[in-house]
Amino acid sequence: MILQTAFMGLFGIAAIWFAVVVFRTHSMVRSALALLFSQAALGAMFLAMQAEFLGVLQIMMMATEMAIMAIFMVMFMMDPGGLGQMEMTHQKRLSQAAGVIGAFAALGIAFLAGWGNPAATAPGPQAQLRGLGLDLMERSMLIFETAGVTILTAMVAATAVAVATRSATKRKEDRE
Amino acid sequence: MPLYVALLVGAIMFGIGLYGALSQTNLVMIMMGVEVMLGGALVNLVAFWRFLHPTVYPGQTFFLIIMTVMALDMAVGFGVGTARFRARGSVEAEEAGELKG
Repeated sequence: MILQTAFMGLFGIAAIWFAVVVFRTHSMVRSALALLFSQAALGAMFLAMQAEFLGVLQIMMMATEMAIMAIFMVMFMMDPGGLGQMEMTHQKRLSQAAGVIGAFAALGIAFLAGWGNPAATAPGPQAQLRGLGLDLMERSMLIFETAGVTILTAMVAATAVAVATRSATKRKEDRE
Repeated sequence: MPLYVALLVGAIMFGIGLYGALSQTNLVMIMMGVEVMLGGALVNLVAFWRFLHPTVYPGQTFFLIIMTVMALDMAVGFGVGTARFRARGSVEAEEAGELKG
């Protein structure tokens, strides 16, 4: 239990540190990589919490997701390398206040609510996967299917939005 | 005790993400803030599953749903970003005043 807590704390601190780096560095590539490390540290934290499948899933998903994100960042940013030290923030006071209040509200609930006795042991990886599979195909099947349909809708929507502007771009180019 | 460590990490990640999403001017950076917030939510879900109900699995299903949301907000966000970049040549929030409701 002590070792588990120590590793969770270690990976948790790593995740928090890299999450801070995401918004402090000026370079976009560094920012995307810091987010990748932050999410991977969360994945390692899930592994420390004995959620093997979820931990590996998190690390794999985030590795690909952040690689794609890095490409888009370099495409869309004015100053991807961060060499110009461009100012990229606005409403700083309000955001800091909102962040601190949000964190303290969550902390207040976390520490004031009575969670009952924590469970000492978790099922092994095989039992977990079996239980998750049965849950997905029985009790939570409708929710799981809804997620699938949502993915399909989002795919169609994202493609439609990205393609629809092509004619607008063409008109703009013709004008120029 | 380990439950509280996880909840602490989740709460701090949520705060950092909220700050990032509100303070950044670029669409991609705002989406990064949202991802950090959802990461905090994931920590809480796994911790609640592991330390409160390790033998029932809807908690893990909820994790999968949140992970889907993380992937989808990226996909739709980049779709909108591409459209905006084609039309206006930038995805800065400061230059998108006409989108204000």
